[in-house]
Amino acid sequence: MPRIAGVDIPATKRTEIALRYIYGVGPTRAVEICKKAGVDPGVRANKLTEEEISKMAAIIEQDFVVEGQLRRQIQQNIARLREIRCYRGLRHMRGLPVRGQRTRTNARTRKGPRKTVAGKKGVKEMHRG
Amino acid sequence: MSRSLKKGPYVDERLFRKVIVARNTSSHLSIRVWDRACTIVPEFVGTTFDVHNGKTFHKVYVTEEMVGHKLGEFAPTRTFRAHTARAAAAKPA
Repeated sequence: MPRIAGVDIPATKRTEIALRYIYGVGPTRAVEICKKAGVDPGVRANKLTEEEISKMAAIIEQDFVVEGQLRRQIQQNIARLREIRCYRGLRHMRGLPVRGQRTRTNARTRKGPRKTVAGKKGVKEMHRG
Repeated sequence: MSRSLKKGPYVDERLFRKVIVARNTSSHLSIRVWDRACTIVPEFVGTTFDVHNGKTFHKVYVTEEMVGHKLGEFAPTRTFRAHTARAAAAKPA
């Protein structure tokens, strides 16, 4: 199994798919990396030569922030928002949606499992008026 | 959609003049602001503002990190209401 960008060991899939197992590489970047390295995106990852792998690894390291470093960067950005106590920071602190979504209903991804509150109107009641 | 670059950041000009005057006279009095949409520019760093939240004024001391944000982002307009941890523990679901 080939290793790219540290711990990542993409499987026996097409290169353009396998590269996406790296945190920070999606469809667009996967194809971009293949193109730059002159690798056929359709070839299976286990059929790649050492040379091709190191070439792609070099491109990733040079052009993109991936994996741990990217995760850290994101955390730092959030920490900054919290520190300056701006609106977005406060939303992060409270575990509520940050980008102005409604919270009367939905927003379950941010809020987590429902906590039932007596007397609260559900979606159905809201539509009945 | 983000603001057109051609226009540059939105800064309340009267407020900007006030800040410059305050800096030149090294006045540390806070400046009352209603224009929450005004962008914080580097000149504002170190100044204290009283930003209106619709009801009262919220003290905001501008630091370097706040540059690029809007003044209103630092003066919450809503009261955050949540159940306390104790109330949640006393009445488990």
